[in-house]
Amino acid sequence: MKKIILICCAVLAWVPQSWARINVTGLPGRDTVQLTIYNSADLTLVKETRVLTFKQGLNRLEFSWANTLIDPTSVEFRALTNADKVEVLDVSFPPRVTNTLEWRIQSEVAGEVKVEIRYFTSGISWNAEYVAEADAGEKLMQLAGSVRINNQSGEDYENAQVRLVVGVIRLVENIVDLARQAGEQGAPKPNAGAPPPMAPGMRAELGRGMNRAVAEMEDKKREIVKEALSEYFLYTVEGRDTVPHGWAKRMPSFVAKEVPVESYYKYEKEQYGNAVMRYYKFKNDEKSKLGKEPLPDGGVMAFRLATLDKLYAFVGRTRVKYIPIGEAVEMELGNDAEVMVKPKLMNWEKDEVRFDQNGNPSGWSTKEQWEIELQNSKAIGVVVDVRRNFGGDWEVASDDQYEKVDATKIKYVVPLKAGEKRTIKYTLTTRLGNNARK
Amino acid sequence: MHTHRLFSLLGLILAVSAAEARVKLVALPDRARVVVSLANLDATLVEEERVLTLQKGVNQVDFAWRGVSIDPASIQLRMLDQPDQVQLLNTSYPPNENALIWAISSPVARAERMRISYLLQGISREVVYRAVSEPDEKSLALRNYLRVRNNSGEDLENAEIGVGYGKDFKRSIQHQEVLELLSERVDQLPIKKILTWDAGQMPWDPEYEKNTIGVPLSYVIKNDKASKLGAHTLQPGKVRIFIKTKEVAEGDAAPGEGVAFTGEDWGQLTPVDREMKLYIGQSRDVKVTQRKTTDERINLRRNNGNSVVMWDQNEVYKVEIENFKTTAVTLVIVEHIPGYWKMIESTLKYEKKDAFTIEYTLDLAPKTTGDKKTVLNFNVRRMNVQGNEPSNY
Repeated sequence: MKKIILICCAVLAWVPQSWARINVTGLPGRDTVQLTIYNSADLTLVKETRVLTFKQGLNRLEFSWANTLIDPTSVEFRALTNADKVEVLDVSFPPRVTNTLEWRIQSEVAGEVKVEIRYFTSGISWNAEYVAEADAGEKLMQLAGSVRINNQSGEDYENAQVRLVVGVIRLVENIVDLARQAGEQGAPKPNAGAPPPMAPGMRAELGRGMNRAVAEMEDKKREIVKEALSEYFLYTVEGRDTVPHGWAKRMPSFVAKEVPVESYYKYEKEQYGNAVMRYYKFKNDEKSKLGKEPLPDGGVMAFRLATLDKLYAFVGRTRVKYIPIGEAVEMELGNDAEVMVKPKLMNWEKDEVRFDQNGNPSGWSTKEQWEIELQNSKAIGVVVDVRRNFGGDWEVASDDQYEKVDATKIKYVVPLKAGEKRTIKYTLTTRLGNNARK
Repeated sequence: MHTHRLFSLLGLILAVSAAEARVKLVALPDRARVVVSLANLDATLVEEERVLTLQKGVNQVDFAWRGVSIDPASIQLRMLDQPDQVQLLNTSYPPNENALIWAISSPVARAERMRISYLLQGISREVVYRAVSEPDEKSLALRNYLRVRNNSGEDLENAEIGVGYGKDFKRSIQHQEVLELLSERVDQLPIKKILTWDAGQMPWDPEYEKNTIGVPLSYVIKNDKASKLGAHTLQPGKVRIFIKTKEVAEGDAAPGEGVAFTGEDWGQLTPVDREMKLYIGQSRDVKVTQRKTTDERINLRRNNGNSVVMWDQNEVYKVEIENFKTTAVTLVIVEHIPGYWKMIESTLKYEKKDAFTIEYTLDLAPKTTGDKKTVLNFNVRRMNVQGNEPSNY
């Protein structure tokens, strides 16, 4: 429902101010509307254009927005035609009237003037959603991204151009708070005040209305044009969309086929307990058929094509963080019991005892022999990353290749073929008390 | 009775043609195929196929559900016949409703097979095993069942139900129905029967016990080719074990065969080539007595104040085992030795399971009691003891 109303009150210079609001000469609708929706904050920049008819002299414009989530401090007006002849003298927020402002505009011309009104609203959000579809061997995947716009702003925006901003902006005050302060009784709570459920025919009718613009314009998939902007990325959805209050809409953003993916497993007791965690690893670069844009943070549904007729096996769902171009990504997909990692302490010794001048033990060393059994019960090859954490003055000896991650961590990265079993072994020496050299 | 809660009321297709703003309602066809995948323990994936008659241009397909719990974010739509031509333009989600509307474009009027995939709550599965052992307890017949419980609110007709291994089942499963499906059967599966006496858990001296000590009895199944298994990981589930018995003949009839229940356990997840050990009961015909016969501090190290600050603990254990059974049996003795230790002497061979655990596997001959009892002595030395050792390493 439309709740933002613009009333054009043309008055002659000599008419007392108190008469102004009565003298309604027109109620122009929006000609165009553009939504620039941010995903890092509850903020949408709305830009609308309308054609108003001005009288020469002083004009009053009343702008009201009951039951919406507009920040009154953000509303701006400018003339697009005859810009040098139309001037905003001042703006007032009348007493005892909530969610209304009034511009006093001096016009040197009489007739139609195209104007732009800009304001911030909260209640419209967008997020990215992805579907990862791995092939049976989990070597390649199709990654499909879409964007989902959710309108809980209280206002219906029809035929809007939608732009989405990927990036983190700073707000010192929340738009929703500013909106609420302005009209305690008027502003809806997010997710509240949505229309009640509709009869099927009605929903269909509304759905038809929502997509009429699409139908009239084209019946192929619309592009989402992406461009870099400062530290942000701007997605512009081709064409126009209608997203009524309470509705959400999902639109495809991109599909990348044959993205190389690695089925990667991690075991780290301190992080995941005894579970072996499963990841799909890929890179957001051109070599990987991606890399055209940063991938916004969002939810992922991951499937594997399990059969020749492409039935899905559900792998897991997760969230990815914001992925810059060129960055490697790990999608965590939960625990997988088909890959086993079982560390076992096979021997423990306490030796190299040192005594102080009083004859009391002041240092010793422990030597631990560990065996880690690895088993891949899957029908496809995987890579297992096993991490071990140590404290104090430690030293590891191992015939199996490992990498020191930092001062307290090592990792083994072990590829395992389908059905393969392996055991990796290491000896950990820890020097304690006066034996410690660091 | 309700049947399909998906589309039950709201199965409509709306075709909007670019040329004429004509609205056409088309009844949604029944499901052509339903596949239920229970392979992922966290979520049940349902895939259904329907053939939709599309108009040229943009078609609106309304997908709604009532009385079932579907994760709306999980719903996927794939075109199966002409995925390059028939395209999903967008998806709209109406407020406060379990519904969505797909806008699908088609270059021509055509029938298109579509697959809808979603995660459906309320369908759970468990694996249960039933086994009948031969009287000699050397082999058993194993039956592996998949038990599917449908509390989703939806009746699934002729569903292909799969669990990620073996072949799929094609069955109907009604809301609130529990279906038990035989997924695997193996006859004459060799088993090991073992008794396990764990020194950390069992009383050492039966003389002081009011009741006869029962030694835990287990069957061990190996998930490998030699056991006619080894094709996939055995899923966790309850295992009930029966044993074949002869029944007493009545009248002139020949004696029949029956079974007796010998116990049950939770089978653990068992990857290929690993063992599933099922603790199903106790044996009271094997008696184990363990005593510590030496416990002394040696190799004392003193500080300048003549206090002992470090020593070695010399321990000798004697374990006597009697088998009152008329059959041979395998007994595993488990000993826990903390800290840094060395075995000085052991009269029987042991296997070190980990740093602090050793096991003796003893094949006890029938009726080895009294003078014929099995005796194990071992002398272990715990080194560099300070008296402040942690209880767990």
